[in-house]
Amino acid sequence: MRKPLTRSGLFAGALLLAATAVSLVPSIYMFDISLRNATDSFSPALIASHVTFANWQAILLHGDLARFFLNSALVSVATVALTLVCVIGLSYAISRLRIKGGHILLLLVVSALLLPLASLLVPIAKLLEMLGMTNSYFGLIGPETAIGIPFGTVIVKAAMDEIPVALEEAARIDGAGSFAVLLRVVVPLVQPSLIVVAIWQFLYSWNEFFLALVIMTRDAMKPLPLAPLYYQGPFMTDPGKLFAILTLIAVVPMLAYIVLQRWFVAGLMEGGVKG
Amino acid sequence: MARRRRPWEPWLYVLPGLLVFAIFIAYPILANIVGSLVGTHGELSLANYRQAASDAVFWTAVRNSGIWVVACVLAEGAIGFTLALAIELYVPIGKVAFRTLLFLPMVVTPSVIALVFSTIYAPGYGLLFGLFDYFGLAGSFPAILGDPSTATLGVIAVNVWQWCGFFVLMYCVGLAQIDRELLAAAAIDGAAGLARVRYVIWPLLWPTTTSLVVLGTIEALQQFPLIFLMTEGGPADSTQTLATYIFQTAFVLNETHYASAVAVVLFVLALVLIVLQYRLGRAEQAAHA
Repeated sequence: MRKPLTRSGLFAGALLLAATAVSLVPSIYMFDISLRNATDSFSPALIASHVTFANWQAILLHGDLARFFLNSALVSVATVALTLVCVIGLSYAISRLRIKGGHILLLLVVSALLLPLASLLVPIAKLLEMLGMTNSYFGLIGPETAIGIPFGTVIVKAAMDEIPVALEEAARIDGAGSFAVLLRVVVPLVQPSLIVVAIWQFLYSWNEFFLALVIMTRDAMKPLPLAPLYYQGPFMTDPGKLFAILTLIAVVPMLAYIVLQRWFVAGLMEGGVKG
Repeated sequence: MARRRRPWEPWLYVLPGLLVFAIFIAYPILANIVGSLVGTHGELSLANYRQAASDAVFWTAVRNSGIWVVACVLAEGAIGFTLALAIELYVPIGKVAFRTLLFLPMVVTPSVIALVFSTIYAPGYGLLFGLFDYFGLAGSFPAILGDPSTATLGVIAVNVWQWCGFFVLMYCVGLAQIDRELLAAAAIDGAAGLARVRYVIWPLLWPTTTSLVVLGTIEALQQFPLIFLMTEGGPADSTQTLATYIFQTAFVLNETHYASAVAVVLFVLALVLIVLQYRLGRAEQAAHA
């Protein structure tokens, strides 16, 4: 059923179009600078008059951006996987297996939701140095997983609480152990919440800057968020190339989100997020 | 049903999570507290906290962190709530498109955003300068990031720009879960337009608001890359927040014990703010019920 077009509908539409424009203009501007030649790049226009693809050609042939992408992909995928393992385990033990002291455990984990990463950074950096894990992938994967555990546990545990006991009991009677029940009954039922956690954690890990700045000092190990810093110096006088790189970094998660948003929103709607 | 319970079994499931948590969350908290109490000669002392109390930059950082929290939560909340209402209740078409496009800034790496907005703000050639120039105001263009009185707000604006879409989405999710019949009934009872928003929708969305205030607070307290890349805490330390100051004291000045003390302050500040918000949120909810 379609709503009739009302005056408030028109006003809302205009407001939303304006807001969407504001949220998109910086990206359009960024892309446009990447299409400018060196003399045009310092002009205060949104759309430049001359278009050149030389910057894109240069950076796509310039090989070392791939390394940043690869590092980011590796860290993000591993972080998501490890986070899911940790979160599913914690939620299952607390929600379904009724682990002793589960209340305290939950409180402990959830209270870490309130922690700004900055307040943990110094000891994490020292610890990793002690373990010889500066400039190692695990140096990012471990802390990023830890940061993702509180949020993930809140969401997945809430979803697991909704599962009727009867479903589990039925599987138990069929002789399934707790691990089989987890894999065959529980995980499929809480899948929407797992997708929310996976997408959220991927975005967090993919864009994480602070930790990477401190832990990854060797160029070969740096993830994408550090790439702008790496190129900023050499391309200072040639913003076209720098902005081609920035556009490339920005466009990948944007496209990914456009494709994945359906599942992300559906998972949120399932009621995983509560006050 | 006879089921043999092995009491240690649940612990197998919590082991990975607990281990990661203990190493990278619990240990750092304790290490910070202990580290912050170590004086210059390795003795136990409150010297680091005394140093903070008399450190002007530290107080600037505390004030700025406060400004960040208040400005971000208010602006993101107000804009997010308004746009979500427009999407879910008023606009006839394009709901998914608006929701998705508005969320896109959220997925872009802050370091990219920082460089783009530094260029947008740049005097003489940035996009904003172009806008001023178009209206004949080029002469009065402010050096937003170069002026201590505007630099913090300039960076906050970028953070608000990035996070609004998240607030929109969360409010949309909240609105979608409100019973449509309840809204229709409210309209019949005469609660239309703004009255319906104020007396029906706003109270029903209170749980969403509470969560968003907490999330917004943490997000504002830990913002680092935008400040680090756009102003480096300057000019003259005027944009330093607790997060950037921890970085500077620990990794630029190499005063790690002092940095630990600042970190403990940040940690306590976050805790106090959030407990306070939860208390207020609860009271408010009880008042509506």
